[in-house]
Amino acid sequence: MTPLLELQDLGVTYRTGEGDLQAVRGVDLTLQPGETLGIAGESGSGKSTVVAGVLRLLPKSATVTGRVLLDGEDVAAMRWGRLRAARWSEASVVFQGAMHALNPVQRVGRQIAEPLRLHTGASATEIDTRVRELLEQVDLPPAKARAYPHELSGGQKQRVMIAMALACDPRLVIADEPTTALDVIVQAQVLDLLGRLVAERGIGLVFITHDLSVLASACSRIAVMYQGRIVETGDAKDVITAPHHEHTRALAAAFPEVGDPASRYAPATSEPLPPEGERDPQQPVLLSARNLRVHFRDRTGTAVAAVDGVDLDVQRDEIVALVGQSGSGKTTLARTLLGLQQPTSGEVHHDGRPVPASASGLRDYRRHVQLVLQDPSSALNPRHTVYESVAEGPRIHRLGGNERDIVVAALEAAELRPAERYLTRLPHELSGGQRQRVVIAGALALNPSVLVADEPVASLDASVRGEILGLLLRLRRQLGLAALVITHDLGLAWNIADRVAVMFRGELVEVGPVEQVLLEPHHEYTKKLLAALPSPGPDDARYAG
Amino acid sequence: MTTGPTDQHAADPDERRSGTSTVRYVAGKVGGALVSLVFVVALGFFLFRMIPGDPLVTMTRERPTGPEQLAHLRERLGLDQPVWQQFLDYVGGLLQGDFGTSYMYRRPVGAMIAERVWPTLLLVGTATALAVVLGLWLGVRAAWRRGGLFDRTQTGITLALWSMPQFWLGLLLLIATQGVFPSRGMTSVDPPNGFVMQALDVGWHLTLPCLTLLLVIYAQYMLVMRSSLLEEMGADYLRTARAKGLRDDLVRRRHAVPNALLPTMTLIFLQFGMVVSGTVTVEAVFSWPGLGLLTYEALRGPDLPVLQGVFVILAGSVIVMNLVADLLYRVVDPRVRAS
Repeated sequence: MTPLLELQDLGVTYRTGEGDLQAVRGVDLTLQPGETLGIAGESGSGKSTVVAGVLRLLPKSATVTGRVLLDGEDVAAMRWGRLRAARWSEASVVFQGAMHALNPVQRVGRQIAEPLRLHTGASATEIDTRVRELLEQVDLPPAKARAYPHELSGGQKQRVMIAMALACDPRLVIADEPTTALDVIVQAQVLDLLGRLVAERGIGLVFITHDLSVLASACSRIAVMYQGRIVETGDAKDVITAPHHEHTRALAAAFPEVGDPASRYAPATSEPLPPEGERDPQQPVLLSARNLRVHFRDRTGTAVAAVDGVDLDVQRDEIVALVGQSGSGKTTLARTLLGLQQPTSGEVHHDGRPVPASASGLRDYRRHVQLVLQDPSSALNPRHTVYESVAEGPRIHRLGGNERDIVVAALEAAELRPAERYLTRLPHELSGGQRQRVVIAGALALNPSVLVADEPVASLDASVRGEILGLLLRLRRQLGLAALVITHDLGLAWNIADRVAVMFRGELVEVGPVEQVLLEPHHEYTKKLLAALPSPGPDDARYAG
Repeated sequence: MTTGPTDQHAADPDERRSGTSTVRYVAGKVGGALVSLVFVVALGFFLFRMIPGDPLVTMTRERPTGPEQLAHLRERLGLDQPVWQQFLDYVGGLLQGDFGTSYMYRRPVGAMIAERVWPTLLLVGTATALAVVLGLWLGVRAAWRRGGLFDRTQTGITLALWSMPQFWLGLLLLIATQGVFPSRGMTSVDPPNGFVMQALDVGWHLTLPCLTLLLVIYAQYMLVMRSSLLEEMGADYLRTARAKGLRDDLVRRRHAVPNALLPTMTLIFLQFGMVVSGTVTVEAVFSWPGLGLLTYEALRGPDLPVLQGVFVILAGSVIVMNLVADLLYRVVDPRVRAS
């Protein structure tokens, strides 16, 4: 049987201002119909270049060597007309980041219909019927065809992308990070959907992600890419359970299994963690919320409770993970704790005193409770040097002392060493992990007692993730710095947190020590969250009970 | 941390938008425009009081006038009143559609503006329409082949024209065409008979002032369209469109240009108002009988009622056009409707 897709010694080189960049080197892969192949790798590993290479979507600056055979036909030898006809009707792509991959000013129905109008001679009514069919296939109500992308949630947009990819019944679908940025429950739904499509229609699926645990549950074979090469390939189970290459092991370690004692209090970090000192169980409560409620009015004027009667304490020398799906109200809760959002009722206390409502009181309060955002690239002013970014806080709060000393100390504390080397750098000269460290240094410069971190590692690469989590854990152990980490990632909680608070529809449904909540969940929702975690296979019994 | 409202949105994505938000949006924008208008009226009144020169001196320049007569004239024009009283009278008049009476022509300012506004609208409307079409077309072409020969030459020529003073370019065109086109006025001294012939006559007179204006103003449309499209060109949804198998020109027409047009549209409307006030020099060079020429003449007085009237109309047109742009944006961009 001719393989659906065959890459023979594929190489891609980009011409750049600083010389040639070999993005992909000597990649050999084959995919048979009805098979799911997973490609794992971080940003910069060349996996997205491979996707673009299959449909010849690479920019002009790219030189391609080797061969790409689509159903036995050499893509490079195709004439333009033939290539355009092959695009989407024979192989389609679920692009990374559905948010941006959809045209923001076109209704999604029209975008799904576009390839149909282009590649089939179907009439307008036939196309309408087909679009409805496709939307139903991805479990969306057909009425959503009239929605614009911004009116859909992340998961819904992702489904629209999948519906679009299936429009012309292609035999090959390439899914590039289709579940990244989705929360676990939606991720499980999308994975389930893709698996069903492969099984029912015998299409070939190439599944690309940096999350090995997702691949483990979705694919039969896995190839691991690193620096443009395939460093390991084999049966999914073998690659996960017995990785040979160092990088595969690093990727596997980055996404710990909840319940695995080896990864408890042990994020994948290269620097050793300081040993746990004597911990006084009776630490003072630094931040506490009492019966906190935040109501919003939606567009029809109905009140919606984003936070609905929450009681939560964060003590000194403790990391609390606040977990829940998007839409559960965890970000609103964090905003309210920081005084960025007025509560409808209830109180927030810091160090035993209610958080002041006046502007100057709030400013003083925020010195003690600092925020770390999800995406360090947008949290930093691109035109401010590292020094400026870190020094801004101390300036606003008029901290005494030598400003330069404060900045250097903060950078050192955030493990950017030697600090002098970073002072004059601009954000774009830094890697994602270094940027997040600068954000954290900016918070540390004020010598806060609590950090509130909103998805601090969600936009970072797998290998950097462990480093940042390690930093948070070290800061707690060395300085007793308390942290409230908001996340949809239960593995993160398992990695560094002491206590977990599970949020569901504005309420904390379960709060307790990590081991207790994650290993013996009581609430139905916690159980559902844990069940949605990708597991290495249906025959795996580790999550039973 | 701007995800607060989004969280809530995601919690109930099925819910339909209600009409109240539209009404509130429109009311807010109209209210804002009215406040600006009030501000413009006040600013116009007091600003022109600061122009040096006594209007009475200009009015009586050629006639010997006694102090009694001057006092009488001052009283008749209301100039003997305190400034705030003058202002109240002025606003009261405005509310009834009365712009006052010209010092120099002894005619109602409203009527003078009404007869001068059409030539200006004809000139500005034609020039803007042509400039928008030309600018957008060139902008799209230049951006799509960024850095190519077309892009480089066009951007260069456009910048050169944009930097030229209007009166200088107008004079240059007058000299270059060597009298092929009429140099002043809107109609011939002896206008031909028949509507078609008269329209052609006006068109003939319109050519040079319109060309001058067009050459200077198309640049901004071209440059904004170019940069706006360049920003969209790296967008992911264009890669999606290519992957679907769309031809290059379809990717551009269906996906890239509609998105790039959005920021350009605000500029088009905003600039339309600005161009109206920018016609003073062109109208003065070509003696085009519009608001610009009227302003030019009135400045010599200073004919305060005329200046105030024209100022209110010009500033008002900027505000109204901005309002139209805001409202239209809401119709065209689905994302603005939701927020």
